[in-house]
Amino acid sequence: MFKHIFITRTKCLIRDKRLLFWTLMFPIVLATLFKVAFANLSSAEVFKIIDIAVVLKEDYSTNQGFKGAIEQVSKEGPNKLFNVTATSEKNAEELLKNGKISGYIYLNPEVNLVVKSSGLNQTIIKTFLDNYKENAINIAAIMKVNPKAITTYLKKDYTKEISLYKGQPDTTLNYFYALIAMACLYGSFLGLKEITDIQGDLSKRAARINMAPIRKMKMFIYSLSATLLIDFTEILILLGYLSFGLKIDFGNQLFFIVLLCLIGCITGISFGAMISAIIKKNEGLKSSILIAVTMLESFLAGMMYVNMKYIVEKNMPLLAYINPAALITDGFYSLYYYNSHQRFFINIFILSALSLLFCLITYIFIRRPQYASL
Amino acid sequence: MIVKVTNLVKRYGELLALDHLNLEVKEGEIFGLLGPNGSGKSTAINCILSLLKYDKGEIMIFNKPMGPDAYEIKKYIGVVMQDVAVFEELTVYENIDYFCGLYINDKIKRKTLVEEALDFVALKDYTKFYPKKLSGGLLRRLNIACGIAHKPKLIILDEPTVAVDPQSRNNILTGIKRLNDQGATIIYTTHYMEEVEQLCDRIAILDKGKTVALGTKDELKAMINLGEKITLEIFNFSPKALEELNELPTVDNASYIESTLVIRAKKGKNNMVRILEFLNTRDIEFGKIYSELPTLNDVFLEITGKELRD
Repeated sequence: MFKHIFITRTKCLIRDKRLLFWTLMFPIVLATLFKVAFANLSSAEVFKIIDIAVVLKEDYSTNQGFKGAIEQVSKEGPNKLFNVTATSEKNAEELLKNGKISGYIYLNPEVNLVVKSSGLNQTIIKTFLDNYKENAINIAAIMKVNPKAITTYLKKDYTKEISLYKGQPDTTLNYFYALIAMACLYGSFLGLKEITDIQGDLSKRAARINMAPIRKMKMFIYSLSATLLIDFTEILILLGYLSFGLKIDFGNQLFFIVLLCLIGCITGISFGAMISAIIKKNEGLKSSILIAVTMLESFLAGMMYVNMKYIVEKNMPLLAYINPAALITDGFYSLYYYNSHQRFFINIFILSALSLLFCLITYIFIRRPQYASL
Repeated sequence: MIVKVTNLVKRYGELLALDHLNLEVKEGEIFGLLGPNGSGKSTAINCILSLLKYDKGEIMIFNKPMGPDAYEIKKYIGVVMQDVAVFEELTVYENIDYFCGLYINDKIKRKTLVEEALDFVALKDYTKFYPKKLSGGLLRRLNIACGIAHKPKLIILDEPTVAVDPQSRNNILTGIKRLNDQGATIIYTTHYMEEVEQLCDRIAILDKGKTVALGTKDELKAMINLGEKITLEIFNFSPKALEELNELPTVDNASYIESTLVIRAKKGKNNMVRILEFLNTRDIEFGKIYSELPTLNDVFLEITGKELRD
């Protein structure tokens, strides 16, 4: 009996084109659009060496400290910060006017910066100059009080940068994580379909099935197995497309990624089943509710605005803990960035608990074998 | 008794849908449930099938109490719902196979049964069609095949011919007769009295959730005063003549509207002769004349005071 129901339900789900569009094609199309939209955003994040000019005046030539600092940051290598053109003030002004440089520096003898507009490059130049000025003041002060201590000051690193991250930081990844979360939650449409086809007061097909000599819960579990298979396969196809087609880096913890997807699918399906069992309205209305809820959850998980996830976590942490989309997104995030699995398993645990709760509520509503009206 | 319903009461809030309904269906018969829309036929069927909760009463099928968990009873029941209940995503064959498979585990046996069901409803040429490609009549036939493929002992058909073309309707009715000939007991609900007259061995007429009459079609017709209905085409018939006609002992009721005289004659012999004598003695000329025996609609009309198709 299991095989019979499982195979037939699988056929029904595969052949439902509307369902297939929402649960598979729509996330794939959206992912492709994300990739196209973020292509420029990612390239904007790659640091480009900044073109600046230094005015050749006597103050510059005589200030060995500043000259040395400029030489350090314009030296070829991975730490190169500026392309420096040493020129006259007039020429520097011309270069700035034509947009060839982001700003120019002149000394009189104070260090001065001239820029035409404000932006990232200008901020970097200013930060560099501010650092220089601060260090110059410190060195001058130390030299005045205790010249021997200057060597210690120059060599000592007071802070050490330790990265928590395993992966390369990439803010666009969160969009794709939230997208997978949305796709997992779109499994709710499959859950809705299963309940519609098993509750006699929701469809005539279900009423006919209720007349068969088979327990309703058995039927439900058999059908749900087919649903989970289809939904999980769709998510794996989406993951494959993201990973191999769009070259999205998910790290290398395949087992945990698959586990997260599986739990995500279960959460999505059970959520749809619960909504379908609770709301005794037509399928169209229930589908609309599911779309609205999953979209809202995905939005709060950062699918449309990446900072939203952090805003919710900071201001409404409880909402972040009960939002399945946020939990799935965070699961991917923690797998990619963290060395420890602690945060990942917290997400898995809460998702499992939510799924259990959704199943329990569904059971309470569908366990009754008779209906008040048909 | 295959089905015994005793004092069945079902309420929808204030509305009393079934009012102490009593029914008994004998083995091997085609039992008709006749009544206008809203008379409680479908509610009664859904209660019998234990799909609907009911407030009071007892339902026995195959001499065992029927309930939602009565799987031993359900095994032998086939249901054809009023609305088509098939999967749009499955072909004709797959639909029949799926529903049959909920009753029959053996794949080889199931294959034979599905083939027989396809033959039975004459859908062999459409096995690979999806339901949306079928006409209304073919869809109804598929709906029936899904309900009877597992060869049930008791088949319940709830208005299976609604919105069906005459050819398909004929096909369906012939099929039901064949199922009955093969040994199945049938409960057939409809508001088409012609179908009931053509098909059913015994008939229960329902109105407002109650059985208002029960028996064979002849027994039902015998319950009423109407012997025959005589209709004449008369171009000039005075009110005085109509009054005198209504006073005849054999006439139950006569009416004259737009050149048509309709006489509802009481049971008795020579009704037609007496009417003709009445017209002759008064030199009243008439055109067409014909006589009809009472129908179930007349039975319903006399018992409830309203037309069956109201």
